[in-house]
Order: sequence, then structure tokens, then C-alpha cells
Amino acid sequence: MTTKTILEDLLQKEILTEEQAGKIFNYETNKLFSIHWELRSVLYIGISLLTSGLGILIYKNIDTIGHQAIITLIASLVVLCFYYVLKHRQQFLWTEVNHATKYSEHALILGCTLFLVLEGYLQFQYNFFGTRYGIAIFIPTVIFFLLAYRFDHRGVLSMAITGLASWLGLTISPFAILEKNDFTSPGLIATGVLLGIILCVISWLSETRNLKKHFAFTYILFGGNLAAIAGLAGVFSDDSKLIYLTSTAIICLLLVYYARISQSLLFLLMGVIYGYILFSYTLFAYLPDSILGALSIYYFMLSSVGVIFFLLNVKKILKLKK
Amino acid sequence: MKTAYNKSWVKNLQIQQTAQLWVTNNLLTSSQFERIKAAFPESFYRPGIFVKIGLFLFTVFGGSFFAGFLSLFFIDNAGSKTFAVLSFISAACYYFFLEFFIKDRKLFHSGIDNALLYMGNGAIIITFVVLFEGMEIWQYCSLVLLVNGITTIRYADLFTVFISMASIFVGFASILVKFPIGKAFMPFATMILSVLLYVVNKSERDYYYRECQILIKIFVMVTFYFGGNYYVVREGNALLSEITTPNAPQIPFAILFYVFTTVIPILYCFLGLKNRDRVFLIVGLFTAAFSCFTYRYYFDFLAIEIILSIGGFLLILISVLSINYLKIPRFGVTDEIMEGRKLANLEAILIANQFGQTPEENNFKFGGGNFGGGGAGNDY
Repeated sequence: MTTKTILEDLLQKEILTEEQAGKIFNYETNKLFSIHWELRSVLYIGISLLTSGLGILIYKNIDTIGHQAIITLIASLVVLCFYYVLKHRQQFLWTEVNHATKYSEHALILGCTLFLVLEGYLQFQYNFFGTRYGIAIFIPTVIFFLLAYRFDHRGVLSMAITGLASWLGLTISPFAILEKNDFTSPGLIATGVLLGIILCVISWLSETRNLKKHFAFTYILFGGNLAAIAGLAGVFSDDSKLIYLTSTAIICLLLVYYARISQSLLFLLMGVIYGYILFSYTLFAYLPDSILGALSIYYFMLSSVGVIFFLLNVKKILKLKK
Repeated sequence: MKTAYNKSWVKNLQIQQTAQLWVTNNLLTSSQFERIKAAFPESFYRPGIFVKIGLFLFTVFGGSFFAGFLSLFFIDNAGSKTFAVLSFISAACYYFFLEFFIKDRKLFHSGIDNALLYMGNGAIIITFVVLFEGMEIWQYCSLVLLVNGITTIRYADLFTVFISMASIFVGFASILVKFPIGKAFMPFATMILSVLLYVVNKSERDYYYRECQILIKIFVMVTFYFGGNYYVVREGNALLSEITTPNAPQIPFAILFYVFTTVIPILYCFLGLKNRDRVFLIVGLFTAAFSCFTYRYYFDFLAIEIILSIGGFLLILISVLSINYLKIPRFGVTDEIMEGRKLANLEAILIANQFGQTPEENNFKFGGGNFGGGGAGNDY
């Protein structure tokens, strides 16, 4: 099936005029081939490789003459990036800003990452922050939050949120949340749940108050995930089960509710999966053994059918438009 | 064989999607689009990607427990034969539910049907593997190919296409290994087979299989490249000859394979740009990355961090230069955004994962990170 056959079909049903069909056919045959996203991906890979390379380069060359040169190079690159971003800045708005220039987004990312490399070096070599590691993490976090809002950059916002979390001792980068956190310590669980809830609240505020509405997604993605996983960890460990149980249940409901208002099905999926784990665990933890024996054979089969039914009819149940 | 999904709906869906693009480019009015929707109706159930994932997961989950439930009836006389019977009954049930749900709920690759299809195929294959133990690899491969090939014709599913293609190549290789001459000419044979499959696949079949054909194209392009890639050939040769020295020995015709390693990605990219074929361009970029890895593996005259820095710098330079060069469209290639930015949120997540390595308290070390996973962020 080609453009031609589609146009013929449309002509046959008399939806198109001959003239319009000719116009569309012309458009399709003369259409340009856009390699915009390919080039941007290559650019991002380049930035990623360069920053990793420079990061390692510094540590391997500490105390050599080449070292100073590398530091100067990185520092001037940082300045250059931020200069470029500043020069091409646009007016600050609480709504999404379309980046007019081609590279300011990428320059910002490059600048921020290199800034981290540089700061790490200062601490390593000159003990710039002494043993107050907290400040060393907190400073870039604050800067990144400001930059993210000023220059409207979701990526930098994610870096800032990750920084905030690691200031509190948590790793929340999306693919490492489970493997890198030690959720056996009670303090960390509580911190995780609290930070997660705070992030969800911020997301809520951005969405309802129109304060950078498009940032809401990033906040709730990090926050909801963190709160739910930390909450589940709290439920699985022994103390204060009930508090975590209720808070996690509320978070799951909120996620589903948020899916409804934001029309984003990712949060629906998160809410359903975390909610299902929570529900099943609670059932098996609190029901007496005599009922469980009979139930366990059928439970998973029937409950997954139930979830499938819910997901199939989710549009009707939650009145989603999409 | 009859197709499982309503063929004319599949076609209508494509017409609607194409028309939608024309509407956004102001070539059609929205009232015309409404008439197109009425004239070419489809009522497939096509949920968003995340609901799809949820449906898939819970179907696999429920299906596995269903098999466990069935096994309760066989628990008294357990044995390999009963296991085969059990798998066969499970497979039959999966296929039944698959057909039933497609008819009843108008599914169209919506997660449930994907899961049921894969479980059904898996169970059928297990049945035969249990019944006929100790067959040759190529016989198993043809079994897998048979099951997945037949279901591909009916369901046009991408994963079954992938498995079918993989079983063709694995089976082919396992036959060649039996003969000394086959072993020696394995790389060329793989390349020839890839070309043959490419040619067979080239002419457009029914629209129903359009995406399957694209996948086959990608697959044979990659196998063609791997057949000629120096790293794959050298290490594969060592593996087949059961040489366990840390360094694989040099291979005959080394120069030829170096040439292949260099030329094929360039050729792919060039053809992609020339024929405006995104598949060629993207496969070309990925194979180019693998070629860089290949050269780096055998010629490590520079430390990894210097390679990373220089490589990264060069990539930035190349992309910036080409973006500037393409300010005005040249040779029909442009840098303008044709489709909207659908994946801005995903991009932010990837950035957070890639660049968000903020310091940790104990080992105060920055940078580094996982530079291996850089290939993402593309919305092909």
C-alpha cells in the first residue's frame, strides 16, 4: 500500500478532489528526509562519551603537568557552555518555552555534567568542602534546580532531583532505584517515602497551579516510584507495617487518580502494579493459613484475570478520554 | 491461512494514520478527516503502550498460574510424558483464549494477545522437545521455525518473526559446522544467506505484514554485517575451533574482513541517505558504533579515556557541523523536525540515568557512569 493507492481509495469514495490528491501526491514525492533526531542522538552520545572520558582523564592524571591543562580545558568548556546558554537565553515563563537556538539545550547539559566533573575534582584535590560532603552535593542540586527552571530543561531537572535524593542518601535514577539502595535500614525507608510524597506534592502543585506544568511528569515519575518502592520495602520489613501499608495504598490510589487527570497511562500502570503487589502481600500476611491453603491455588490466576479486566475497561472505569 | 486480525481494519487503520499526518500538514481539512474515518472504519482495541505492558505482564502472570493450576490434575502420575501432555493442553488453552479474545475484545497486538501467543508457542515447542529428546540442533531449529513461522503468517507478530529469523540462522550455522569446508566459509555463507533473504523480502507482500517485513530487513542487514565483521568472525572462529587461548588466533583473509567492517556501515548510511531509508540509516549508525568497538578491541594504542574524550568530541563536532550544513536542505535531506517531539519525557529520563550520576558520599568520584548504553533516545 502506497500513497498512490491510498489516494485512489480516497478519490473513489469522493472524499478528495482530483486537485487536492495531486497536491498531496506532490507533497509526498518531494518530501524532505529529516535526520533531525538521528543527529540529536549522535550529539547526545557525543556529550555522554566526552564527559565520561574527561571524568576518567582527570582522575588518572592527578599530580601531573597535563593535569592542570585538563582542568583549565574543562573549566573553560563549562564557562563556554554557560556563556552560550546565557547568550541565547529566552524570557522566563512559567509555561513551556520553545528553544529557539539549536544547541542551548545540549550546551546546558554538557555544562552541567562538566560542572559536576569539575566540582568533584576540586573536592578530591583541594578538599574544597572538607568533610562536609553534603554541601558538595547540595550546591549542584540547587544550581541545577535554578537552571532547570530558568532555562526550562527537563533533563537538568531530573539531574537536580537525583541530586536532591542523593543528598538524602538515596539513589533514584530510574534504572538503579532497586539495586543501589539499601532498603533494609528503617531511616532510609522513611526518607524515601517522605521525599517521594514531597515530590508528588510538587508535581501536583505544578500541574494545578500552572507552574511549569510539563515538569509535573518528571516529578511524579521520580516521586511516585520512590514513594511506592520505599513504602513497599517498609511493608516487607517488620516495624510500623501499618503506617507504610496505608501510605503506600494511598500513593497507589493517588497514582491511579493522577493518571485520570493527567491522562497519562504510565501512572496507571505504576499504581496498578505497586497496588497489586501490596494487596497480594497483605492478603498473604494477614489471612489465616486455613483459608490461604485453598485460596493460593486460585488467587493469582483469578486476580490477574481481574487486573486484566480492569485494564481492559480502564477507559470506562476512570472515564479516560484517550 | 486466514489472518487472525481483520485485514481491512488493518488497512483502514493505516489510511486513517496517513490521513492524520496530512491533516497536521494542512493538506486535508478536519471535516474531510472525519469523512475518511467514517468511510474507512476500524474498531481495534489499541491501548497505550503502558496499558499494553500491564496487560502483557498480567497475562503472562495469570497464564503461568493457569498452567500450575492444570498441573494439579496430573500430579499423581508425574513423568516426562505427562509433562508433554500438560504443555500440550496448556498450549491448546492459550491458543483458544487467544482466538477468543481477538474475536471478542477486538484486540490488535494489545498485550494480551502477544502474551498468549508467546506462551502458546512456547508450550507447543516444549511439548515436542519433551517428546523427542536428543535431536540435532538444526532439527530443533526447524521445529521452532515451523511453530513461529505458521503463527507469524496468522498473527503477523514481530517477536515470532524475530524468533523465526534467529532459528533460520542458527539452524543454518549448525548444519554448516558439520562440514570442514562449511566451517571455513561460514562468514560468506551467512552473508549470502542474508542477501538471499533480503532479496526475497524486498518485494512488498500484503500490507498486513508490513512491520514484519521491516523487522526481517533489519535482521538480515545486521546478520550481513556480522558475517563480515572482523571481531565476530575472529572470535567466532576461535569458538568453533575450540581454541581457548585468551587471544583468538588471526584468521585467513583478515584484510577482507577489515574492509567489510569499515565499508558496510558506511554503505548502509550512504544508502539510507540516498534512498531516504531510515532503516538503513539507523542500522548503519549502530553498525558503525560496533565497527568502532571492533577496531578499538584489536588496536588499543590509546587509553580508553582518551578514546572516549576524542570520540565524544568528534561526534559532537560531526553532529554540530552536519546540523549547520543542513540549515538549508541539501540533496533532499533536512534537519527540520518532521514529526513532533513525542518522547520529550522519555528523553529526560534517559538523561537523568546517563548524566545524573551525582556524587556519593563514600567514594567521592564523579563522571564515569555507564557510557555503554548510549544508543537510545531515538524515536524511530
